[in-house]
Amino acid sequence: MNPARDEILQALRNNRPTPENHPLPPVRTLGDLDASRERFIASLKILGGDVLEPVEGETLDQAIARRHPDAKVICSNVPEARGTLPVEKVKTPQDAATIDVTVVRAPFGIAEMGSIFLSESQLPINSFAHLGQHIVVLLSPDSITANMHTAYQERPEFRSANYGVLMSGPSATADIQGVLIRGAQGVRSLSVWFA
Amino acid sequence: MSNKPVNHARAAEHFLEDAPHLQFHDERLWDMRQKRDAQMHILPEWQELREEASRIKEHTLSRLPEYLEQFEANAKKNGIHVHWARDGAEHNRIVGEILKAHNARNLIKSKSMVTEECDMRPYLAKQGVSVTETDLGERIQQLDDQLPSHIVVPAVHKLTSDVAKIFAKDYHTDPNIRDPHLLAEAQRQAARPVILHADAGMTGGNFVVAETGTFVVCTNEGNADLSATVPNLHIATIGIERLVPRMADLGVFIRLLSRSALGSPITQYTTHFRGPQKGGEMHVVLVDNGRSARLGMEDFWTSLKCIRCGACMNTCPVYRRSGGLSYGAVYSGPIGAIIDPTFNERKYSTLPYASTLNGSCTNVCPVKINIHEQLYKWRRVLVQHHEMPFVKREIMHMAGKLMGQPKLYRAAIKATEVSLGTMPRFVLYNWLNPWGKHRENPHPVKQTFNDWYRRNREKARPAAAPETKK
Repeated sequence: MNPARDEILQALRNNRPTPENHPLPPVRTLGDLDASRERFIASLKILGGDVLEPVEGETLDQAIARRHPDAKVICSNVPEARGTLPVEKVKTPQDAATIDVTVVRAPFGIAEMGSIFLSESQLPINSFAHLGQHIVVLLSPDSITANMHTAYQERPEFRSANYGVLMSGPSATADIQGVLIRGAQGVRSLSVWFA
Repeated sequence: MSNKPVNHARAAEHFLEDAPHLQFHDERLWDMRQKRDAQMHILPEWQELREEASRIKEHTLSRLPEYLEQFEANAKKNGIHVHWARDGAEHNRIVGEILKAHNARNLIKSKSMVTEECDMRPYLAKQGVSVTETDLGERIQQLDDQLPSHIVVPAVHKLTSDVAKIFAKDYHTDPNIRDPHLLAEAQRQAARPVILHADAGMTGGNFVVAETGTFVVCTNEGNADLSATVPNLHIATIGIERLVPRMADLGVFIRLLSRSALGSPITQYTTHFRGPQKGGEMHVVLVDNGRSARLGMEDFWTSLKCIRCGACMNTCPVYRRSGGLSYGAVYSGPIGAIIDPTFNERKYSTLPYASTLNGSCTNVCPVKINIHEQLYKWRRVLVQHHEMPFVKREIMHMAGKLMGQPKLYRAAIKATEVSLGTMPRFVLYNWLNPWGKHRENPHPVKQTFNDWYRRNREKARPAAAPETKK
């Protein structure tokens, strides 16, 4: 028995408005249903993210080195990039703090927001997405869904992941005199590599 | 805690004396309102989204016990420990016990208005737990020992120079820094070691999904994700009204929240917690603290639809020119003025008057709470409960008598007109006449409408035809 639980639920039962007067509205899909890569990129840029475009003949490792020339520790959790630190070395949440650039693959993106989704299935450890200084996210253009309605209705990851984050550009704040600063507490930059 | 009514007007007066702060505050919040409008105009479906959000919330509130039970069952299935707290004290005790069981001394937390409601930090400090806020604005307020002045941007009433002074004291940075980038970097550098060595992390919860046992946390800094993924113990404090029935409902609310709050399409981080991370432990504390009672208030229960976006604060002319701290309460602005009196009717009896009733708050509310009507209704309730300041009560009493008797009213109007034209200023502008504060009384007119009507219309009106005898 939990007296607090019982008391709260009983009070809610006594006090609530008549349920019959407030039926559950059906799920709706509203707004623009364009799921194109172009829309995704435009939204991503509004939120301060960027696309990492390959220069001809360049590998992903080379592109990352070009984008982040000062990065010493690059840790990749995808076969497309080698990095400098084997991902097996990242065992505790704190281990991710030494990384300059983390490389991951997102199972899907959302065109309306330029968001990418990450969960424990894409991360060696959840803090991997946040403690590194920068993040490079691989995304297949075919996996872009149109907007928040289609994302929540269609993507099974929301129902299966214990930890699922939509990152829309890098960490940001405007808490000091309204000045927008990219790279507050989490990643300083977020780049998307289409592959 | 003092039960004395908050003197909002006097605190606002104080706020108005400082021109640079006032001007920045007013402009910054209005800028957020305009950015919100720009987002609204991009979406032709905006009003439909508001309507959907309102209906989903009203439905959920009418079946809250069932949805809470559903959430609890699903969350438990996923390995989340679910706790129930009737009030702030019970909440603090539960959190304190969880921390004690893990011998956790260093707690990092992201912003949560419910923990502010519960006044948790001082309680945990007494238990020997060091609490560090990880949201930049909230951290500034913590270091300055102030309540958040806004529910989304807690330090919006401060200028860069204020933050530089606070950081100089605690982070030993240069007090003359005027570049917000340097100060934000100082916060990042100071917070990292604290985050890495924390024993426990705490977050709030913006939305709770009954059908999956998920709770959602929205931040821009990513500080909730750091607080939840670095330490192995995660405690989330969530108000019981935060439920939505289905995962798909989040589509409606996430599309509205940040657009209404800051005018950005979405928060940089929208995080869905459905269970503990590998090797970790997760607790959810469901907090009532007056909410179940509020659900029974016929005129005020829809305030529980609130998703804490702060749009009503940004648009409110009184809030923008008085600052959140002048409300002397955890929740400020129009939404605060209708929620706070449910916590303490006497103490917050002045807040429903901190409004011009212009209705702007209602117009921008993403879940269509009739905020300005509730402000008006609160005034009525407070009068009935005699929670009205003496001068205001006496004036209303006299006005009521006057307006109930046309002859007396007309005589008084004439007398007022005469006195406005002839009385010395010290008689007209004093504490008995709040209308004379910060503004000029109206110019006396030569003729009242009633006089004009008598002279020009009443005579011209054709006399009633005399009755003829047959």
